[in-house]
Amino acid sequence: MTLRLGRHSFEDEATLMMAIVNRTPDSFYDRGATWAEDSAFSRVELVVSQGAEIVDIGGIKAAPGVEISAAEEMSRVVDFVARVRAAYPTLVISVDTWRASVAAAVCAVGADVINDAWGGADPELVDAAAEGGAAVICTHTGGVTPRTRPYRIEYDDVVAAAIADTVAYAERAVAAGVSRESVVIDPAHDFGKNTFHSLEVTRRLGEMVDTGYPVLVSLSNKDFVGETLDLPVGERLVGTLAATAICALAGARIYRVHEVVETRQVVDMVSSIAGRRPPRRAIRGLQ
Amino acid sequence: MTRVVLVPGVLALLPEYAGLEDPVAELRAACLGAIAWLESGPVTVLADPQGARVAKALLEACGGFEAQAPGRLRTSTSGGTAASYLVVGNGSACRSERAPGHLDERAAAYDDALRAGLASSDVNGLDLDLGRSLLASLDGIARLPEVLPDGTPAQIDYDDDPFGVQYWVMRWQA
Repeated sequence: MTLRLGRHSFEDEATLMMAIVNRTPDSFYDRGATWAEDSAFSRVELVVSQGAEIVDIGGIKAAPGVEISAAEEMSRVVDFVARVRAAYPTLVISVDTWRASVAAAVCAVGADVINDAWGGADPELVDAAAEGGAAVICTHTGGVTPRTRPYRIEYDDVVAAAIADTVAYAERAVAAGVSRESVVIDPAHDFGKNTFHSLEVTRRLGEMVDTGYPVLVSLSNKDFVGETLDLPVGERLVGTLAATAICALAGARIYRVHEVVETRQVVDMVSSIAGRRPPRRAIRGLQ
Repeated sequence: MTRVVLVPGVLALLPEYAGLEDPVAELRAACLGAIAWLESGPVTVLADPQGARVAKALLEACGGFEAQAPGRLRTSTSGGTAASYLVVGNGSACRSERAPGHLDERAAAYDDALRAGLASSDVNGLDLDLGRSLLASLDGIARLPEVLPDGTPAQIDYDDDPFGVQYWVMRWQA
């Protein structure tokens, strides 16, 4: 399906790299490396040069920790979004927030996408996105409170639950006025899920693709990769890319990543194997 | 009036083998330019079966042409209405170590002789056996004397061997 992310449109079958840009002092992977605004901006410059179509700017780490007020979150992301918007008019800017007030503020300065990693915890978020003309990422968290870890959550069928919740959220967004072609669903690996759940969601991702909504996957260096391979953060790239390949074969459209170059290569290779993307340049045997 | 165009039977010219980037963009442009010079309407294709596919694809890409298999051929000396021919063929595929047929020391001289013959529309003395062993594509070229008088000069639009295979795009009018 054609995908419209704020002011940008993408053709059917186009795959997109969404590069993570943290304006946080404590996110699990970079541990504050881009906490300073200039460092975060350098990260944007880097990922754009690597071909990322989207940056996903976040002001609060996902894991539990010190409470960050809406005002503090805005101070971390709003001016920064405006700066990135001014420097990169054709870049898709996503903001990772669950708060409607933050969503409204970033839409006002040029955000294209609201990435609600906490599955609609703030019911007014879809209204803010609709008013701001932004796309919405509808995630599945099993109904957990933002910034909590899963504890003994079980599902009769985790994929069925992910589809039911994300599609319901998607329909709520459309009802609020978000364009249907601007609604993306995300099974949200690790969120409200143990490792077995995340592996099953990966294995059965095609069922989410079959809903017709574009699917985003956020796999990068997550605990389900770490637990599966018994590897710490920092040694999970190969496992991440293996999961990426499976999701790409199933037809995921957007990949939220730390490593843009490696993920792009995997997604392009798999897309070509799947027959959705021609090779870059083929002459072997055809001279 | 007879117009004849020669293009190489490069499979990379086929739409089913298109990549995101065209590895034969310059050659393709030369082929299309020469074909556009033919009289629109039916074009008789002289080629082996793979070359015929290439011819059909290029004629379709140009538009306004209709590929037809050769029936009873005639040269321009038989007079009458305009006739257009598209010949598909190329020189050796053994011109470098990276060529499909690797390097064969005889390839350069063979292609030089073939180029000279084509340039003056005189390929009667062609050594077909040697050509075959050098992976040259000659089925269409060998029929050139059936449609062109010997000595008809060629305009050479393209003359290169980017992958160790000798390609020409040429046109003749008689």
